[in-house]
Amino acid sequence: MSTKVRYISEDHLITRQNRAEQEFLAAFNAEKPGLAAPKVVVNPYLINPLCALVMFTTPTAVAPTLTVHGKRYARENLSHTFKAATEHILPVLGLYEDFANQVTVTLPDGSSNTLTIQTGKLPEDVCRCLNIQASLDYLGDHIMFLTPAGKNLPTAYDYRGDIRWLLTENTMFDIKRVKNGNIVTGSSRFCHMPYNSTGMVEINLLGKVYKEYRMPGNYHHDHFEMEDGNLLALTQDFSRDTVEDMCVLIDRDTGEVLKTWDYRKVLPMDVAGSGSQDAHDWFHNNAVWYDKRTHSITLSGRHQDAMINLDYETGDLNWIIGDPEGWPKEMVDKYFFKPVGDLSKFDWQYEQHACVVCPDGDVMCFDNGQYRAKVKEKYIENRDNFSRGVRYRIDTDKMEIEQVWQYGKERGQEFFSPYICNVEYYDEGHYMIHPGGIGREDGYAAKHLGPFLDPKKPNVELRSITVEEKDGVVLYQLETEGNFYRAEKLPLYHDGDNLVIGDGQLLGNLEVTEEFDTVPEAEEVFELPPSFHNIFIEEDEDRFVFHGRFEKGTLAMLCLENEKESHNYFLNTSASWHLAMCSGAFLEDDERDIKMHISKLGLSGVFKVKLIINEKKYQTGVSILCPA
Amino acid sequence: MITEISQKDYESLDLSAPMLIEFYSKTCGPCKMLSFVLKDIAKQKPDFPIYIIDFDENRELKERLGVKGFPTMLFFKDGKEASRLEGLKQKPAIIKAIEAIA
Repeated sequence: MSTKVRYISEDHLITRQNRAEQEFLAAFNAEKPGLAAPKVVVNPYLINPLCALVMFTTPTAVAPTLTVHGKRYARENLSHTFKAATEHILPVLGLYEDFANQVTVTLPDGSSNTLTIQTGKLPEDVCRCLNIQASLDYLGDHIMFLTPAGKNLPTAYDYRGDIRWLLTENTMFDIKRVKNGNIVTGSSRFCHMPYNSTGMVEINLLGKVYKEYRMPGNYHHDHFEMEDGNLLALTQDFSRDTVEDMCVLIDRDTGEVLKTWDYRKVLPMDVAGSGSQDAHDWFHNNAVWYDKRTHSITLSGRHQDAMINLDYETGDLNWIIGDPEGWPKEMVDKYFFKPVGDLSKFDWQYEQHACVVCPDGDVMCFDNGQYRAKVKEKYIENRDNFSRGVRYRIDTDKMEIEQVWQYGKERGQEFFSPYICNVEYYDEGHYMIHPGGIGREDGYAAKHLGPFLDPKKPNVELRSITVEEKDGVVLYQLETEGNFYRAEKLPLYHDGDNLVIGDGQLLGNLEVTEEFDTVPEAEEVFELPPSFHNIFIEEDEDRFVFHGRFEKGTLAMLCLENEKESHNYFLNTSASWHLAMCSGAFLEDDERDIKMHISKLGLSGVFKVKLIINEKKYQTGVSILCPA
Repeated sequence: MITEISQKDYESLDLSAPMLIEFYSKTCGPCKMLSFVLKDIAKQKPDFPIYIIDFDENRELKERLGVKGFPTMLFFKDGKEASRLEGLKQKPAIIKAIEAIA
């Protein structure tokens, strides 16, 4: 094939992992090794180079204990005892990179075997810890997981700042441990710019994907596990002209959408916009929280500087936390709170993230504070601004609000993070504050968001800071390179099943990609597109992604053709500027580079891929297979 | 029928009749695509007047009409703007807007 068009076809990660699992299980079953010479597989699920499996059999059912030795001394050891069995497939988590790790397996009868598991170097551009203040007394067996806000990777750091977990897939946005001990986070599969991926993935810490929950409106920002295991997830309807304004309930077993909340039904779209609002992304929903006590969902809308609360059953609006300036009077009177208490310490939140409802009903969030005003004339420059974690006490009878805690205002621009970030409630007086989107230029808070800054420039720094405070004392602070969307502190092992053998599943559906019903007149030529266009087609099991380079203003259309039918997709070659860029994972360095995802849903057969560029229709030499 | 006009031509248009006025730019891919959509619509509705105006060359007019980007389609009836569509749209959305004023 000409070098003018590149093409790859790759099975879904789930399929590749299923295959890998079957292979190592087959080898294990053929060998049936004992503890004296166990079978060891490093990175068994292909995407976590800091893990391994140790497999062996015992004549009787016993409960083995696995210890990953600390790099320095025994107090750093990580240990976990697994359920009794005769066939043991033990996950080894938290290996040090580029190191001959010592791992000991001990049986209840005292017999043991210490193995050496050598790991390799991590990718060169992995984000390193720059500073850490922590102790084993405080962290115990927990490490800090950070999820990427760009092309960096999901990474977890121990109390010394050593990387102990890393995925080589750019899974993104929220990361939460669910009740069965697994992790749910965003998939790394691109769908729609600026940062929408196919859905969520449920994984274990080895990186094994148990389920991918595909969503027709894609996934962005956040999700929440309900008591019955179903998942609330943030999404949108791409057939509308607005985005990031819907939440859905996903069936955990089938991936089916069970319920939808549409904020356009309860909020005006053209009022009280934050400095980042536009008509398309009018609300910018970046967090969801279900509160059982009030049977309601709380949602954070960055582009209206508002946290709203909806009745779970009806979707009706209950209240809004935010600066009331710019909202219609009838809404202010009905839904907004009046500040009370020590007003000299009270601040509203602006462009906030990560709303959390505390057990007593207080509402926390990360107050990014970008612009910190409702009208342009009052906007605060980033270098004069601050970000913080904040906790508000609300009285929904009196419609009063009191600020009862904050951390960060006193740190000024050094802590300022205009996008992403989160807070965590651990207990009364015990919180995490994660300004993960710090960008500095010439030593000052930068004017632009992290994804638009070039960290290779000597005057630019991208930073992520994670602080934990207890009763007013900072007990932990981690500072890393890069920007990280959220932080989540977790132990590597949990009491449930740390590994369940069996095939992963691809659930739910992508959308049927919108076709264009007008096809421009173009002369079909039997040649490949000029190499300038740098055409690259990535085919996956359920979709393909087209990449190309086009000068602004080029007329371009992707055509799928066979002898019976054709399907045509308009390619937008206009340069676009996004006021929100919560993950720069899919951003291209050259703004002429575009990509478009085409779902195979609704297509059946084999199609030749052709490309209209201005007045010519080119061949690509690529055919796409869409199973019936 | 599609007719290219300038600001001067616009000033002499009789806006009381239903019509579509599209602001486009020569440097815009979606505008180029929309030109094919409008050609199809003109074939389907040959008596409905469609005017196209170069956004870059008629800046005062686009400011006056509050046109912020391209392509933008303004639907006029009885001398007033009845509705507008911003960005590239497919035939059904444009025909629906035309039928609402025709």
